Amino acid sequence: MRKTFVLVIFALIGLGLTAVASSASPASSSKAASAVLTAKASSCSHASIARDVYKIGSLTVATDSPAYEPWFSNNTPSNGKGYESAVAYAIAKQLGFSKSQVKWTVEPFDASFAPGPKKFDFDINEISYTEERATVVSFSASYYDVQQALIAMRNSRIVKHHTPADLRTYVFGDQIGSTSLAFINTELRPTQQPSVFNTLNDAKSALQDGRIQALVADTPTAQYISSSEIPKSVLVGQFPSTGEHYGLLFAKNDPLVACVNKAIATLKANGSLAKFQKEYLGIYTSVPTIKP
Amino acid sequence: MPVRGSRGGTYLDQQTLVAAGAPAPGSFEGNGRGSHLLGGQRAAAVSTVSTVVFIGGVIALFVFAPGAAAVRHTFFNPQQMKQAFLGDPSKGLYSVGKGLILNIEMFLIAEVLILFFALVIAVLRQLRNPVLFPFRMLAVVYTDVFRGVPLIIVIYGIGFGAPALYIRGVSTQSDFVYGIVALVLSYSAYVAEVYRAGINSVHQSQVAAARSLGLSQWKSLRFVVLPQAVRTVIPPLLNDFISLQKDTALVSTLGAVIEANRAAQIDSSTLFVYSSYTVAALLFLCLTIPLARFTDRLIARDVSRRMAGGATVR
Repeated sequence: MRKTFVLVIFALIGLGLTAVASSASPASSSKAASAVLTAKASSCSHASIARDVYKIGSLTVATDSPAYEPWFSNNTPSNGKGYESAVAYAIAKQLGFSKSQVKWTVEPFDASFAPGPKKFDFDINEISYTEERATVVSFSASYYDVQQALIAMRNSRIVKHHTPADLRTYVFGDQIGSTSLAFINTELRPTQQPSVFNTLNDAKSALQDGRIQALVADTPTAQYISSSEIPKSVLVGQFPSTGEHYGLLFAKNDPLVACVNKAIATLKANGSLAKFQKEYLGIYTSVPTIKP
Repeated sequence: MPVRGSRGGTYLDQQTLVAAGAPAPGSFEGNGRGSHLLGGQRAAAVSTVSTVVFIGGVIALFVFAPGAAAVRHTFFNPQQMKQAFLGDPSKGLYSVGKGLILNIEMFLIAEVLILFFALVIAVLRQLRNPVLFPFRMLAVVYTDVFRGVPLIIVIYGIGFGAPALYIRGVSTQSDFVYGIVALVLSYSAYVAEVYRAGINSVHQSQVAAARSLGLSQWKSLRFVVLPQAVRTVIPPLLNDFISLQKDTALVSTLGAVIEANRAAQIDSSTLFVYSSYTVAALLFLCLTIPLARFTDRLIARDVSRRMAGGATVR
C-alpha cells in the first residue's frame, strides 16, 4: 500500500516537471526564431524590423506619466513636441514607420526594468545609462548628454555660496530613482540626508515650502522648473559633465537596438538631434558652471 | 452556590467534557471529529501526496519556468541583497536595515499614542450624558472621516499641507513628526471602533450589577466595563498593530524619512533590480511574525484563564 503511494508521488512529481519543461520549450524555440530575425534585422530594412516589433505594423513607444517638460509638451507624447517626443518620431521615421504608426504607451519608471516581456519596443523617459542597469536591460546609444544642475529659491544662501564645502551644508531633495539623487549622494555628499520624493512634482513643492533648500535635476529640466514652474526660483548653475547620458531602454538583448542605434547615428550626423536640442532645449545653452 | 455569569456556566460544561475525554473545543486532535475530517489513514496518505505534489509543482515552477533565471537575478540576487541590507554610500545606495530602525521607531511611538487617543474617543462615544452630546458628535465625525480617508492621503495632506501654512511651531516640524501624526489620526479611528466593540460586548447586566453596588457611572465604566472590554479586544488590537507596522512605510512619501521600503525603492531604481524589495519584505516579516505569534499566545492564555476562572470561582 505504502509503496504504491510513494510511486504515485514520484510519478506525479515527474508529470509536473515534464509539464513545466514542455511549457518552457515553446518559449525557447521562439527565442531561436528571434535569433534568426536578428540576423535578418541587421539589414535594418523596414520589412525585417516590422516583424520584430512588439505589435506588428506599429512602433510602440513608452514613457512615464506625467511626461515632464521640456522633454514632452502638455503631458501629451503623441503631439511630436518636446525633445524626447521629437526624437522618438525621428527614429520611427528612420525605421520606416509613419507618424500614425507610432503608438504611445504609459510605462511607470519602476516597472520599466521588471523582468518578463516588455509591453513596448523602447522606453524614452530621461533614463540614464549605467553599467549596473545595463546588466538588466539594454540601452541605445546616447540621444542626449546630461549635465546636472542646481535649483534653489532666489533668496536662498546657496545662490551665492556654493563651493564644494558650502554645498555639503544644505538640505537637498530629489525624485526617487533619478541619477540626480545618486549625484547628490556621491558627488556633493551633504552632511544631512537628502529627502527622496515619489515624483519630481513632490520635490518641487518641498522646495517651494522650504522643506528642502535645493533640488538637483538635469539642466533642461532644471531650467524649465526655474523659469516656468516655481516662481522666485533660480537655476544656480550646472555641474561639469560626468559623462552621463540618456539612452532608450529596451528589453535585454532586443534585436531592435542595433537598428535604433543606426538611426540615432544618422540623426546625429545629419544634424537633426542638434536641431531638436536648439528648438526644444535651446534656451538652456548659457548656464554657468559650478565646480564641484 | 456562587454567583456565576452565564459564561461561567458554559465554560464549566466544556471543562467537564474535556475531563471526560472529549477533544478540547476548537481542536481537530483526538479520536473524535479529527479522524472523521481526514477520513482515516488512506485519506491521510492522499493528502500527503497532494501536498507534496502541490509544493513540488510550485518549486518546479520557480526553478524551471522560462524566465526563472531572470527572476532569480532580479529578486533573489544574494550579492545585491547583501548590498541592499548594508547600503553603499559610495554608489548612492541606501541601507534597508538602517531604514527599518525608523519603521520600528515610528511604530512604537505611534502605537502608544494610538492606544491612548483611541480609548478617549471610544469612551467619549459611549457617554450618555446629554450635556456631552457635542463631544459624542465629534467622536462620531472623527471616526467616520479618518476611517474613510485612505491613509496615504492623510499623510500627504498633513506632510505637504502643514508646511505650506507657514504657522510657527506647526509648519516647521520634521516629516517624521508629520508622519506619526497622520498614522495616529488614521489608526486611532480604527482602534476606537475596536475598543467600542469591546465595550459593547460587556453585558448590560454587568453595568446594572455595578450600579446596584453603588458605583457611579464613571466608576462602573472604569472598574467593571473597560477591564473586560480591553481584555476581549487585545487580539484584534494586535492585528491592527501588525498592519500599522507595515503602514509606517507610507510615511516615506513625505521625502525625508528614508525607511526600509524607501531605501529599497532607491536601491531598486538605481540598480534596476528588485532584490532590495525582497530584503525589505523579509525584514518586515521578522517584525510582524513575532507579533502574530505573541497574539496567538495571548489568545490561548486568555482562553485557558477564563476556563480556569469558570471552574474555580466559588
